[in-house]
Amino acid sequence: MTMTTALPIAMIPGDSVIHRINPIAKLVWVVGYIVLAFSTQNIFILASMAVFAFLLGIVAGVLKPLLKAMIILVPIGSSLLALQIIAPAVERPWTLAGSIGPLSLYGDGLYYGFVLLGRVVASLIIALVMVMTTHPSDLFTSLAKLKMPYTLNFMLAMTLQLIPVFQREFGVIMSAQKSRGMKGTGFSAVLPSFVPVFVGAIERVQQLSISLESRGFGSDGHKTSYRQVRVRVRDWIIGGLGAVLIVGLSVYSIIRGTWSLSGEIVFSGAFVTTLFAIAALTFFGFIAFTIIYGFTRK
Amino acid sequence: MTDPIIRFDNVTYHYPGTEEPALRDIDLEIMPGEYVAILGLNGAGKTTLGLCVNGVVPTMLGGTLEGSVTVGGLDVGEYPVREMAKIVGMVFDNPEFQMSQLSAAEEVALGLENAGIAYEDMVRIIPETLELVGLKGFEERSPLGLSGGQQQRLAIAAVLAMKPQILIMDEPTSNLDPIGKQEVFSIAGKLNKEAGMTVVVIEHEVEVMAKFADRVIVIDHGRIVMNGAPEEILSRVKELGALGLRAPEAAVLADDLRARGLWTGPTPTTTAPAVEQVRTMIGAARG
Repeated sequence: MTMTTALPIAMIPGDSVIHRINPIAKLVWVVGYIVLAFSTQNIFILASMAVFAFLLGIVAGVLKPLLKAMIILVPIGSSLLALQIIAPAVERPWTLAGSIGPLSLYGDGLYYGFVLLGRVVASLIIALVMVMTTHPSDLFTSLAKLKMPYTLNFMLAMTLQLIPVFQREFGVIMSAQKSRGMKGTGFSAVLPSFVPVFVGAIERVQQLSISLESRGFGSDGHKTSYRQVRVRVRDWIIGGLGAVLIVGLSVYSIIRGTWSLSGEIVFSGAFVTTLFAIAALTFFGFIAFTIIYGFTRK
Repeated sequence: MTDPIIRFDNVTYHYPGTEEPALRDIDLEIMPGEYVAILGLNGAGKTTLGLCVNGVVPTMLGGTLEGSVTVGGLDVGEYPVREMAKIVGMVFDNPEFQMSQLSAAEEVALGLENAGIAYEDMVRIIPETLELVGLKGFEERSPLGLSGGQQQRLAIAAVLAMKPQILIMDEPTSNLDPIGKQEVFSIAGKLNKEAGMTVVVIEHEVEVMAKFADRVIVIDHGRIVMNGAPEEILSRVKELGALGLRAPEAAVLADDLRARGLWTGPTPTTTAPAVEQVRTMIGAARG
């Protein structure tokens, strides 16, 4: 019996420039992106970050899986924009841009919605590009070189391994229970599988620890590494450049008080109203689709 | 006269919190370079016996061990399993539970890394070992994405790469097809003959064991009840039957024919001599 369940987001093998960058240099960029995204409210910076990350994804040749993983942004993005337009998460006074029935729509809300969305999109894309272009083992080997404790590193790597294993075991146990007449879908169907899956997990972990010890895991002697991750001058430059650029922009943003342009940019009433309508419809459409799909799939 | 590489001295073992011992009064000596098969029903104590050799019993699983187990001159209870790993390689029956790495090559590398083998040697040993078990070209595949049989061969490769003096395999071929089974035991046989590796196999497959093993040990309720050459042990069809075990088909056939007065001479334990003798008998009857 072989069922292969790959992780929803996994490395896409390739040999692009992005693939060959050292994992730590990439990690610097991801962390930097998150820091910058959350220290600025300048939508032009956020938008260019997202576009740049997206371009990296295209260069790395992971466009298709990237777009697929970004579907999650549809419900998040549409609900975010719609909610921000009717209830901005910024201080009053708000500028009224229009209204639909009893709902008042605010232009500042739309600006802040764009900021929030920009943060999520930029961080998500760069993180996805990193995950999709880095072999997990290379990442863990690099982390080990940075003196990350071996056991902690092993635990992280093991977690990645166990997710598909548990997915598969849930599948097997649920099929077994269904074949014995158990009814129900969704969470109520998953619930009775928890006990067998976790009992199985404990047994698995004990067997694994015996197997690992039998292969000398945890011995005190000198250890070597099979994975060789090279750090080239290029990687230092890329990592350094990323750090400088991001720290620079973050500091400048913070000095300018998050560099929000909500005062300068005024959206027209029609624009806000249309965008609200689209966002709200998309969100409810998405929800409706999920519910109907969930019910008809029994 | 060389010393035995594995010596059980009057060993009785209880798992934690159990009344009934899993092993009773085990006295056993295995010489370097022997190929030993251990037979017995489920729960007879075969696996426990195997676990004693690399010290998982009692150092990892607890319980009380009376008597002593000496492996390669070391008293097993005194050393952690990871130290014994330098001498004893152990393959367990559930291959999927032994996989921990993201690629097959790294799975094999794990033991080598822990033993501190240089990178230059690893890049040579790993492909060699994978080729030995028929997994050439699977280096970058995820162990969990392999079939049961491939996983089993990978688990064997992961241990063989460490070049242990003693190889213990606990039902290593349960997921393999008949050809795969033959391959695993002949790899072990080759290492046994050419490199002098001591091999202990815990198995149900009497046919294969009759072919490869130098010695067969039968365990029942934690006791060694038979211990000798495969031709001697596996031909005792009735006694094996009384223990709930099956003798090789060839031996069963010969035994049945003997009861009808049709078989003379020794009871064969492998198919080839049985076929030969039946052929001669048919020839004689016709001629």
